[in-house]
Amino acid sequence: MDRRDFLKNSAALGAALAAPAIITSRAKAADSLKLGCLFSSSGTMANIEGRMNAVVQMAAAELNAKGGVLGKQVEVLVTDPSSDWPLYAQLGRQLLLQDKCSALFGCWTSVSRKSVLPVVEQNNGLLYYPLHFEGEENSKNVVYLNSPPASSVLPALDYLMGPEGGDAKRFYMLGSDYVWPRTINKICKGYWQSKGFSESAWREQYVPLGFSNFQTIVNDIRKFASEPGGQPIIVLTTVGSSIPDFFKEIINQGIGATDIPVLGLDVLEADLEGLDTAPMVGHLNCWAYLQNAVAPANDAFKANWKGFVEKSNLAYSPTTVIDPMVSAYDGVHMWAKAVEKAGMADPDAVRAASAGISFDCPSGYTIKMTGENNYVSRGVFIGSVNDKQAFDILWQSKDTPTPVPFSPYA
Amino acid sequence: MMGWRRRLAAGALFLLTLAATPVLADDRALSELLAPLCAGASAERVAAVDRLLDAVETGAAEPAWALRALEAVGGRRLVCAEGGVFITSGTGVIDAVTSAPGLADAVKAQGAFVDLRLRPYLDMGSAVLRLLASPGGPASGAALGELQKRAKIVPPGLIERAAAEPANAALAPGLRDVMAVAALNDPDPALRIAAIGRLAEAPSERNRTLLRDLSGDAALTSDPVVAAALADGITRIERWLTLGQVAASVYSGLSYASILFVAALGLAVIFGLMGVINLAQGELIMIGAYATFLVQEALKSVLPGLVDYYLLLAIPFAFAASGAVGIAMEVTVIRHLYRRPLMTLLATWAISLLLINLVRVTFGTQNLQFNVPPFLNGGTHVFADFIVTWNRLFAIGFALAVLAAALVVLRRTSLGMYIRAVTENRDMAGCVGVSARRIDLTAFGIGSGLAGVAGLALSPIYTVNPAMGVNFIVDAFMVVVLGGVGSIAGTAAAALGVGMINVTIEPMFGAVAAKVIVLLLIIVFIQFRPEGLFAVKGRR
Repeated sequence: MDRRDFLKNSAALGAALAAPAIITSRAKAADSLKLGCLFSSSGTMANIEGRMNAVVQMAAAELNAKGGVLGKQVEVLVTDPSSDWPLYAQLGRQLLLQDKCSALFGCWTSVSRKSVLPVVEQNNGLLYYPLHFEGEENSKNVVYLNSPPASSVLPALDYLMGPEGGDAKRFYMLGSDYVWPRTINKICKGYWQSKGFSESAWREQYVPLGFSNFQTIVNDIRKFASEPGGQPIIVLTTVGSSIPDFFKEIINQGIGATDIPVLGLDVLEADLEGLDTAPMVGHLNCWAYLQNAVAPANDAFKANWKGFVEKSNLAYSPTTVIDPMVSAYDGVHMWAKAVEKAGMADPDAVRAASAGISFDCPSGYTIKMTGENNYVSRGVFIGSVNDKQAFDILWQSKDTPTPVPFSPYA
Repeated sequence: MMGWRRRLAAGALFLLTLAATPVLADDRALSELLAPLCAGASAERVAAVDRLLDAVETGAAEPAWALRALEAVGGRRLVCAEGGVFITSGTGVIDAVTSAPGLADAVKAQGAFVDLRLRPYLDMGSAVLRLLASPGGPASGAALGELQKRAKIVPPGLIERAAAEPANAALAPGLRDVMAVAALNDPDPALRIAAIGRLAEAPSERNRTLLRDLSGDAALTSDPVVAAALADGITRIERWLTLGQVAASVYSGLSYASILFVAALGLAVIFGLMGVINLAQGELIMIGAYATFLVQEALKSVLPGLVDYYLLLAIPFAFAASGAVGIAMEVTVIRHLYRRPLMTLLATWAISLLLINLVRVTFGTQNLQFNVPPFLNGGTHVFADFIVTWNRLFAIGFALAVLAAALVVLRRTSLGMYIRAVTENRDMAGCVGVSARRIDLTAFGIGSGLAGVAGLALSPIYTVNPAMGVNFIVDAFMVVVLGGVGSIAGTAAAALGVGMINVTIEPMFGAVAAKVIVLLLIIVFIQFRPEGLFAVKGRR
């Protein structure tokens, strides 16, 4: 076999491998409503973003089993922006203009959302964004399914600064270097200033995305922690594989939650996969959903996910569900309700119909679209790592606070 | 007949009651000690821990018994229910006071949540009780570390008792440090000065902060002797701390350098010696890590006794797996492209994507769970806040071993001689009877195998998932080019240089700037010395 034959054969093989995927996604295009997914199944975000595609498909399957939306089947188109931020915009445009998707579900990092933002605004699309984020944004073309800092980060900080959380007085902010950590930290600093802390009470440190060599930084943290001034905590805003790598290093250097608690703002059940969490017990996170939430809707959701993963033989853990998955799932159902209410899937009509739409979220709260903006009122959970690779619920809000998109502390 | 039996029975009952009454009273007291630990506000539970420790100090409670209760609170296994306080476990339920088996059905609940305020007290209490219950036991070192961290809240009486236990003799100096913290506020100046001296002999940031806090106290520093002792203590600690910081920097630098070197070594052979730009090198590292994982899983099911040594046992498998993939790559693709570097670049990139996706389809995208063996977990405190972590020490040792092995193979074996001959002058080597084709294949196999071994060495430090290879490829090329193409020693020197410079810059300007500065330095260096640190003279 000479080189030319080889290339020819491999091209043919490649086409054959790729073909079924193309065919299935285009086959039943006839009379259906299309949802586009912008979640990476390759690159640094693949481990956590990948399962988001599956959960949107699961929600769509639930809708279809009940006869679809407006009598039409819901079809999910999956793309792979491969953790490459500009590619999110390009694929988003393609989903809107070429595939005529009624709504997009997608983005994890804020930098990817910012990259898709002009695309949905120019083409008047709707992007359902399932992550808790830095706020400071209110586009009519984005539905913010998760909480801005005022109803996620600040309650958690309050807890840690209170007597039950150990009276935190000093703060080490460690984040990946992009818009979400920087904005969150800016809001945190403003918040601490409003509480009368001086600038010497905190230190800020950023690492490149995908960074994993945390040795020097953990040395610096230990130094910071033993300086006088009161109980220190770490506000961790690294993302992706930097999260488990950071935890491995602090465990090896003997730092536990009783020495310096870590408030991991992007730490999810999925990040604990592959870690022995016994030495991590007591570290915290804050989300609008935790896997251990006690609610009948949660049991049903977890059972559905397990069944869906096992039936479709997906490579994700059938027993791990995370907040953004639940948010995306809520998003699909709320979109469907809005479409039914509007009687059409046109973005403007859906937006108008969205106000006041509510849904029984697996978190146990009845979540509701606010009338004045595209935010969703969600419950607030503070979780604490247990030794079973999950979070115990440390505190949860009584009801669903009204989201505040623009923070007074930024 | 009936009469004496009845009398006997009554007498026995009376005796039983007599024996049982004081026990019951004790039991009630003990049960009252435990009940507030079950649930409630954390301030009350903290007070309950203190009361329990007091009871141990006065002899009202046994250390081992109290330890069991505190550990149960920490594990959320202490449950108050109808009829007493119970400890649940995987196997059943026992009464926390009497150890009698309890009704398994009666207690299904989980104990109350342990928050960050209560947990330090539980940890401290368990540590001191462990020293009393099993002096000199296997966990006593860890217990001492715990007590040193929490010196401010320990009960001094119990510490003194623990220090007096003969079996704790090895820990006695450490326990005296713990007591010194309490003695800092002693009214007797002589005791205070002794305490300051003890703290100064155990230099750490924590002790410096303690002494500094003390020097702010005007009532205390008015005594010139105490003030002088304090100033002297702080200077002594600071001297050691500086040394400790230097040692920590050198260690971090070495460990980063070892990671860079291990990741780059395979590339040094493939790119350095053969001139092939292999962009799939990172994926070969990833395959090595996955092979290690498979060996671990196989050991778990076949020979569970050896599972702690999987990192060593997996070396040949990781080498063989990546080596086999490398050889397959060479035979099917790269051999046809030796004279076309640009095509090699594209082809190897395509291969890297193919490998990532094959692994993703087979294993899934989630991070793999490695059971890091106990001897690689944690670290040891050397002096003055300088901690040596075992997993990084393993990486350093591993890098040195691989460097030695690679040098021996290249310099002392005939295979190494052929490889060097082909590198220096391909045509001439062919003329004297060296089969350049076969050497290419072998060298590519070795280079790939080394990448596989790198995956093994990195698995205790880094997260292992299909995309992990991407993180290493740029650093690997950087190190190989800087070191001088074709020189293993150069690769080692370059890794050391980049590692050291990185950890020196990082604390000053941050990790992002460090990366930029290191790249700039390399660009400037390459401008003046394009052949790298160690250049191999040869004709290609």
